[in-house]
Amino acid sequence: MTDARQTPDTATGRAGPVAGRPAPTSQSHRASSPGRRRSLRRPWVGLLFVAPMLLLFLAFRFLPVVGAVLLSLTDYRLSGRWDFVAVDNYTRLLQDGLFHQALVVTLTYTAVFVPLTVLLSLGTAVLLHQVVWGRGFFRGVFFLPYVTSIVLAAVIWKWIYDAQDGLINAVLGLVSIGPVDFLAESGLVLPSIAVTSAWKGFGYSMLILLAGLQAVPRSYLEAAMIDGAGTWQRFRYITLPQLRPVLFFVLVIETIGAFQVFDAMYVMTGGGPVRSSYSLVYFLYDSGFKYFDFGYASAIGLVLFAIVLVVSLVQRRLVGRDD
Amino acid sequence: MNSTVRRIAAPLTALVLAAALSSCGDDSGGSDSGAKKSVTLWMYPVIGDQAASTAYWKKVETDFEAANGDIDLKIEAQTWDKRDEKLAAAFAGKKGPDVVLQIPDQLPQYVRNGSFEPVDDVVEPEKDKFLPAALPGLTVDGKVYAAPIYHTVTTTMYNQAILDKAGISKPPETWDEVKAAAPKIKAAGFSTLDYSASPEATLNLNFYPLLWQAGGKVFSDDGKSVAFNQAPGLEALTFLKSLYDAGAIPRSALTNANLVTDQPFGKGQVAMAITSTPADAKTVAATWGAANVVVGKPLTGAKQVSFGLPGGLAVNAASENVDEAKKFLSFMIQPAQVEGLSKASGFFTPRTDAQTPAADPAGQQFADALKYAVPGEPNASARQVMSLLSVELQAVLTGKKAPQQALDDAAKQANDLLSRQR
Repeated sequence: MTDARQTPDTATGRAGPVAGRPAPTSQSHRASSPGRRRSLRRPWVGLLFVAPMLLLFLAFRFLPVVGAVLLSLTDYRLSGRWDFVAVDNYTRLLQDGLFHQALVVTLTYTAVFVPLTVLLSLGTAVLLHQVVWGRGFFRGVFFLPYVTSIVLAAVIWKWIYDAQDGLINAVLGLVSIGPVDFLAESGLVLPSIAVTSAWKGFGYSMLILLAGLQAVPRSYLEAAMIDGAGTWQRFRYITLPQLRPVLFFVLVIETIGAFQVFDAMYVMTGGGPVRSSYSLVYFLYDSGFKYFDFGYASAIGLVLFAIVLVVSLVQRRLVGRDD
Repeated sequence: MNSTVRRIAAPLTALVLAAALSSCGDDSGGSDSGAKKSVTLWMYPVIGDQAASTAYWKKVETDFEAANGDIDLKIEAQTWDKRDEKLAAAFAGKKGPDVVLQIPDQLPQYVRNGSFEPVDDVVEPEKDKFLPAALPGLTVDGKVYAAPIYHTVTTTMYNQAILDKAGISKPPETWDEVKAAAPKIKAAGFSTLDYSASPEATLNLNFYPLLWQAGGKVFSDDGKSVAFNQAPGLEALTFLKSLYDAGAIPRSALTNANLVTDQPFGKGQVAMAITSTPADAKTVAATWGAANVVVGKPLTGAKQVSFGLPGGLAVNAASENVDEAKKFLSFMIQPAQVEGLSKASGFFTPRTDAQTPAADPAGQQFADALKYAVPGEPNASARQVMSLLSVELQAVLTGKKAPQQALDDAAKQANDLLSRQR
């Protein structure tokens, strides 16, 4: 996920300069500088260049995943003693009521969080795109929550939601509503946490979408305007289709983020009330680091991985089909 | 969200790598019979002040090595943060320290996994000199697994300014007095009792003291089933629920963790809390003014009970120098060492014959509360049971379940869990 976030360009589907350039013919190269160029084109030379990154990736990303797969087939305990239990952890997981509950919570949260974040970031990106004066300032301000710590944001939002002396209830109190227990009502807790996470994270998607908006050729929009298309029609039939690859990227990234929600819940509600905000990753965390049931925790992690993979593939079919 | 992945992945990676590397062995124990034997201690910041901590442990090292010329004591300072993850990874890779600080909450899980050596022989000569909660808190299945070196305690604390505004001259010291005071305190615009019902808040500081005060227990005597759904449990939960419904417990209780600065009590909105620590007293003195901080006796239901924990040193069962490690434990439980630790850390000594004199009346109240301290009920599944129960407690407070129903539901799940693990 980190890697994907750091390389938005590849995901937007725009071809880079290298890929767009026609490949030089081998004939011309051999003729001009035989020794050096030929050695550079040997496959292992390229491998040498990517080797440091590849090694780091293998050691710190790939191996732990293999480790998790192996762990999930054992009943590994603290003492280091373990037995091979085949798929016992997975069958136990499928029958575990807690897992079902955590899955429902996670899906509900995703269903609230993803549209909220995507609409929020698309909205601000469109507005920022219109702004001519002070765009950099606003961009910076909107991006600011993204670079703050989620724990800090969660603590502050916990105060904002506070039933007794929170900001929102103070405002509601002025119009004689409430007090509303945002974090103590099972129906309100997930939307409340989703708002916090959306506030914290929308800046990143906003930047990506803004870049996407700026890449929409003006000539298309001008042509449409000459044809008599209104603002909404231009947005709906020109901008949005042009934005699709970027939108797809944002959608996938935010969905993956939503499935991995944990920090905000841990800080704001501890999973409550009555497990109304107890997500899959929370379940994983408790199994692994509260109960030291490492095999079971690994199984949860892999099932979560499978779910995210399937959801991403479905999204690819639905939104990213032109790529 | 990335930090989540990292948080989960990093310890797992460590675990896998540690397991893989374990076959490489660790010679730091020094199996050489001629050479000095080494004992490694993992110590946590029990002494908050860095300089005082360094000075104290340096002196311990020097004194111990002077008395035991053949042993090389190595003290490694650890952080509280992620202590279970680190220790778990170290034990899993057979690279754990010879001696490590343990508190009752952690101990049973490691004991169940065979990580610790019993130390009954170490504490036997001093057995009668410890506080009532010290050894029981560090005992699992009838054996002592850690030698107590300090003791913490909690007791009731009041905000005098709120009591004054409510016109209450004598702070409520029993359940009945709390119930009687609640309407007056509410009329003055405050809540009566602080409570943390977040699933992340330990029940040792919230529901369990009420349960013990009602005369109840969390686990049955053999530890194979739970007992919290019997009459005392119902009484404690009904007491709690009636206070919550009457508005005597702040609405934010459901998300409160146990952190006094963050709680309505610390912010001066609640009249009393039943499990305050000496550190809490110092913290609130800064916000309320020292004159408003009143430290009282542990609250009394059917019984007078507070919560207080011993901290003790445990010996790694896989250590190559178990005898030397035990020698170090014997050294650490002596009055000179525990007194020094008490002075430097502000905690109490676990011994009745070596109490640091209290500097002020509040400190004296805490010291007096030590004899009412219950150290929690050690059980390898204590934490899971806590999680199961705290969810049901939330269901009661939010009106989704009746108290007895919720306790029975939690008991059923907990008994299932206990039967699976035995």
